[in-house]
Amino acid sequence: MSLLIDAIGFGIASGAVLALGAVGFTVQFGISSILNITYGSLMTLAAYFGLLLVGAGLSIWLALAVGALMVGLISVVFHRVLLGPMVKRGIRPFGLIVVTVACGIVLQYIVVAVVGPTAQSYGNVSGATLRFLGMTFTTAQLVIIAITASLMLALHLLLTRTKLGRAMRATSANRTLAQSCGIATDRISDVAWLISGSLCGAAGVALAITVATFDFTLGSVFLVPMIAAAVLGGVGQPYGAMLGGLVVGISTQVAGALWNPAYQDVIALVILIAMLLLRPRGFFGAAWSSRRLLA
Amino acid sequence: MSSADPASPALALSVRGLVAGYSEQPVVDGVDVDVPVGRVVAVAGPNGAGKSTLLKAILGIARLLGGTVHLEGRNVTGLPLQKLARLGIGYVPQVEEVFESLRVGENLEMGGYLCGKRERAHRMERTLGVFPQLRPMLQRYVETLSGGERKMTAIARVLMLDPRVLILDEPTASLSPEMSRIVLHEQVRALGTIGKSVLLVEQKAIAALEVSDWAYLMVRGRVVMSAPAPEILHDPRMREVFLGGAVAELAEQAR
Ligand SMILES: Nc1ncnc2c1ncn2[C@@H]1O[C@H](COP(=O)(O)OP(=O)(O)OP(=O)(O)O)[C@@H](O)[C@H]1O
Ligand SMILES: [Mg+2]
Repeated sequence: MSLLIDAIGFGIASGAVLALGAVGFTVQFGISSILNITYGSLMTLAAYFGLLLVGAGLSIWLALAVGALMVGLISVVFHRVLLGPMVKRGIRPFGLIVVTVACGIVLQYIVVAVVGPTAQSYGNVSGATLRFLGMTFTTAQLVIIAITASLMLALHLLLTRTKLGRAMRATSANRTLAQSCGIATDRISDVAWLISGSLCGAAGVALAITVATFDFTLGSVFLVPMIAAAVLGGVGQPYGAMLGGLVVGISTQVAGALWNPAYQDVIALVILIAMLLLRPRGFFGAAWSSRRLLA
Repeated sequence: MSSADPASPALALSVRGLVAGYSEQPVVDGVDVDVPVGRVVAVAGPNGAGKSTLLKAILGIARLLGGTVHLEGRNVTGLPLQKLARLGIGYVPQVEEVFESLRVGENLEMGGYLCGKRERAHRMERTLGVFPQLRPMLQRYVETLSGGERKMTAIARVLMLDPRVLILDEPTASLSPEMSRIVLHEQVRALGTIGKSVLLVEQKAIAALEVSDWAYLMVRGRVVMSAPAPEILHDPRMREVFLGGAVAELAEQAR
């Protein structure tokens, strides 16, 4: 029993990282209709930026913020110079996925060429352990959960309460119509890629913190459960991705605790396939589509 | 009317020799259209004649293969849509005319995206005065609305931009006869009287003629008739040709 409760606690912590990553991923798809597979390698890049910054003397949380922003800026440039022009030239979604897969592999090789294949670590950053409702958390896990929760709340307020956020949703819903209202949709895309890229970077550093040691495959391995979380919530729906992250995080950890930790990724894949079979429009399906924010 | 100088400031919108489509193949083939300031100009024609494509080409959405577009005497050929909105052109497309996943109120807010907060609140009140039915729906998501309520939202949204030139692609499709009458006879007509210029594509040919100053008949990508709307309405022969062309298959006869 306590094994199960502990697994739930660990699931919440890893679910927070999943949610962070899945929301950024889903926002990119929502605003640009691009399934950006390079995302995984960009998370890895963020983890190594974090390493560099910690090495330079920054605290781990400051390194997370700066690393996130750096990957956010790189994402803007990536979309501006490569993906955006390709979309405008009418390249089909499938072609775009191939491009982002290729870029992801190239980036992964660049990372390994620069930092080498050996596993790295931020050192001991997990802090004291705390017990909460029978679950055990490290301080680092709690901080990550808090960061995720506040970023999700901030994103929610941005999308629903501000003119910029509504313009992002309008651009996502109907780009031509948004332009006919005078909205500078290219600038809106830049902002969306900055935000989603920063979420990607934050997820990368947070993941590196929670896994203790990491190497150049960090992000690409994470891609499967993260896409499962995004699909679970309905791709393009930020709230769905938040919940999807939690569901995938908890169920993979619980399955790992009850059967075998090696099954974690398998469980994520099974969830992914089952969802695509049963509810291709996501957990909330059409019932929730009226609430969807980016689609 | 099409002999006028396209750069004349008396023309809100002036289109010359427009060739446009979705590939190299022209769908609209050498069309001249003029909208004088403060006038309502209708374009009618059978399905697939190229009316929507003409509007999309003016707005820089369809592919422009030739010709020019002038806005109030200024050459705006090929300018991106977002610039045209800033220059005072409002557009209601035939389909996808609303932001589906946004609330009605948010749709209106996006319509007034370019103006300040206070001005937007002011325009919101004015627009809701025009469409009081929308007031209780402001919090609803557009995808839960009826077809007619959607159209109202779309027209209200474009009014929020307070454009000087309106380009409306079948604004009354799916509206009730009563609502169509209000939109065409009160709204569109009133727009003309307050100095706004309107380019209107409308299937309801008679109603369109009744509220327009001038009408064009488009068949297979070309203008085949261009005359003052009252003249068409009152001359039985012209009326027959126009309605025949607008509704039935003048296109077929021309084959
Ligand atoms: N996006 C598109 N891509 C390719 N061809 C198109 C596209 N939109 C329209 N067409 C074609 O262009 C031609 C003109 O279409 P258009 O929409 O301009 O007609 P319309 O006069 O507005 O008709 P309706 O009264 O039915 O709205 C049609 O043959 C149509 O099939
Ligand atoms: Mg049409």
